[in-house]
Amino acid sequence: MHLFLLGVSHRTAPVDLRERLDFSSRDLSAAAEAISHRQSLSESVVLSTCNRSEIYVASSDPAQAREELVAFLSDYHHVPVQAFQPHLFALENSAALAHLFRVAAGLDSLVVGEPQILGQVKEAFQTAAGKQCVGPVLSNAFRWSFGVGKRVRTETALGEGAVSVSFAAVALARKIFGRLQGRRVLIVGAGEISSLTAQHLRAQGVGEIVITSRTQAHAEALASEVGGLAVPWDSMINALGAADIVVTATGSQRPIVTRPQLQAAQGHRRSTPLFIIDLAVPRDVDPAIGEIEQVFLYNIDDLQGIVEENLSRRKAEIERAEAIVNEEVTKFMAWQRSRTAVPTVVALRQRFEAIRRAELQRLEGKLGGLSPEAALKEAHKRVEDIQRLRLIVEKLLLEPTEQLKALPDEETQAAYTEAVNRLFRLTDDEPLDEARGKRSVPTKPT
Amino acid sequence: MNTLPLLLYAAAGVAYAIHFARRDTAVGRTATTLLLFGALVHTFVIGMQTMEVRHVPFANPSRAVSTFVWLLTLSYLYLELTTDERSMGVFILPVIVGLQTIPALYPGVEYRDAVLDSPWFWIHVSSLLFAYASFGLSGILGLTYVLQFKEIKKKHLGYFYTRLPSLQVLDVMNSRAVAVGWVFLTFGVVVGGVWTAQARGLDPTDPNLQAMSLDDPKIFVAMLTWGVYSFAVVARRTLGWSGRRAAWLSALGFAFAMLNFLAINYFVTTSHTFY
Repeated sequence: MHLFLLGVSHRTAPVDLRERLDFSSRDLSAAAEAISHRQSLSESVVLSTCNRSEIYVASSDPAQAREELVAFLSDYHHVPVQAFQPHLFALENSAALAHLFRVAAGLDSLVVGEPQILGQVKEAFQTAAGKQCVGPVLSNAFRWSFGVGKRVRTETALGEGAVSVSFAAVALARKIFGRLQGRRVLIVGAGEISSLTAQHLRAQGVGEIVITSRTQAHAEALASEVGGLAVPWDSMINALGAADIVVTATGSQRPIVTRPQLQAAQGHRRSTPLFIIDLAVPRDVDPAIGEIEQVFLYNIDDLQGIVEENLSRRKAEIERAEAIVNEEVTKFMAWQRSRTAVPTVVALRQRFEAIRRAELQRLEGKLGGLSPEAALKEAHKRVEDIQRLRLIVEKLLLEPTEQLKALPDEETQAAYTEAVNRLFRLTDDEPLDEARGKRSVPTKPT
Repeated sequence: MNTLPLLLYAAAGVAYAIHFARRDTAVGRTATTLLLFGALVHTFVIGMQTMEVRHVPFANPSRAVSTFVWLLTLSYLYLELTTDERSMGVFILPVIVGLQTIPALYPGVEYRDAVLDSPWFWIHVSSLLFAYASFGLSGILGLTYVLQFKEIKKKHLGYFYTRLPSLQVLDVMNSRAVAVGWVFLTFGVVVGGVWTAQARGLDPTDPNLQAMSLDDPKIFVAMLTWGVYSFAVVARRTLGWSGRRAAWLSALGFAFAMLNFLAINYFVTTSHTFY
């Protein structure tokens, strides 16, 4: 069985095409189900985000799988094949696996290292699993990919540092105030960027969000959007005095707050930290305010500088993350090969156990002719022998089991399996079969 | 006897440094484990010495340093385990390792004198040592606050920004450490005064006891230290001296405390030398 992947991503297809092939707006589980009902496709997971639509399947015939998936995409989205054919990418087995790992690790994301993708991969898998669309191939690959995503996150700095202005502002606020719970926020100017920052701050659990704007209606609209309180423009300076975090983004040509104004408004709160995020161009806040001891003033350029620095720092981590992905692909493939040895190992054990049991049965026949005392004595002795034999069988099997699991590639593995089957006649249905079904199946390697 | 804890502290120090540089949680846990072991062995050493002289060992400067290091380690471990914040380890461990080399190199013999048998004496010394341990922590917290403050204020978000806790957390921890230290310092000084008065009655000829006045450098610097920390405590509440000012004050206070505890203790004191 092969792992096969077909899809489009931000690397191969323009946004309008990605939109047309997007699954996320429709029922993902229905799509996965529809795919796995197709003839040559036994398992399927559909991963669909704004940057990618990817279908992972298990198939015995990758060429046919490709054909069926192309037809499915065309049918499902009502898009002619010619429109998306040149933008498709298809990968098999270890290449498909490496891609899945890279996606889960955030290496294939538009913003490298972004954290949402791992959750999206998990969700895609769970949706498909909920519809019984996944079997051993996809289940193992996806579960492993979650581990890879986590490993890259903890062992590299790929996902570190905010890469958007509003996240950078929130990260800074957390370094100044620690937990943001209960902090008072003042938003001055109700534009899009202040709305985004307010939402991020709200997600961090800040206390009251007060919003003011020259146009009261804008302030009220944003207030209802983020669950804040709109106050009139006149009371802006007062609100400033009570705030811990201030976000300004007005279109004013002159600074709206000067140093004396702020100091007067702060009064006795002068010793508590105040974080001002000035997102406006030209600036809303007099730069001299940044010289006040407990005021931390950041303007849009400062924040953008942080974002760029973080992006370049992430780029520096890509190599390490790729190395982890490669290492995990190798590990996974080795693990999978060891798993293909499992049936042979089980058969071998069954064979040996059956021989042991046959010996036990033969003994019963022999004991039948003896006097009760002699039979009892003889039986004790023999039973002990056979008990000991069980341990010997275990010991004998240990080395071949390990060796079989550790074979380097599939071809060698097939040859060895064949040899073992022949040498021990594992494929025959021999009369010793009565012992089957009571095996200790080797545990799955982790 | 003090060498084994020193080695464990040194190993923990290296692990804390690696943890700080690489931000590797596994290494961080190793660091904490090593420090816990170090503290455990140190507790055993102190326990043995206590059995030997029947009070916590501190009548000899070298042993007092060992006890101080032990208290500092325990206070730091308390801070780390309650806040789950390991980044301070890299700053505190050099102090621990540096000071612990003194008792490891010069074990010293505990001074025995009837005049020191009074419970007042050991209450005096142990509360002062505990106060110094708290001040040690607050000094380090102050230093890290200043580092973090500089990076955020100057908008150079670099090495320390990502590794150190938030300013607020550092400030709150600093304020607590100073407050606890101040309470013990005050208590220790008062108890010291009471004990001196009592002991003078017991032994009017003891030259040490006669020399105990503000003219003695050790007592003078101790009062100066008390003055610095009293100001820090009051200024935070009334003048709003938190943040960077409080951080500098706690670093200054700790410098005085260490001056007294090490330099003056070894070289210039007249009244506090019992050996």
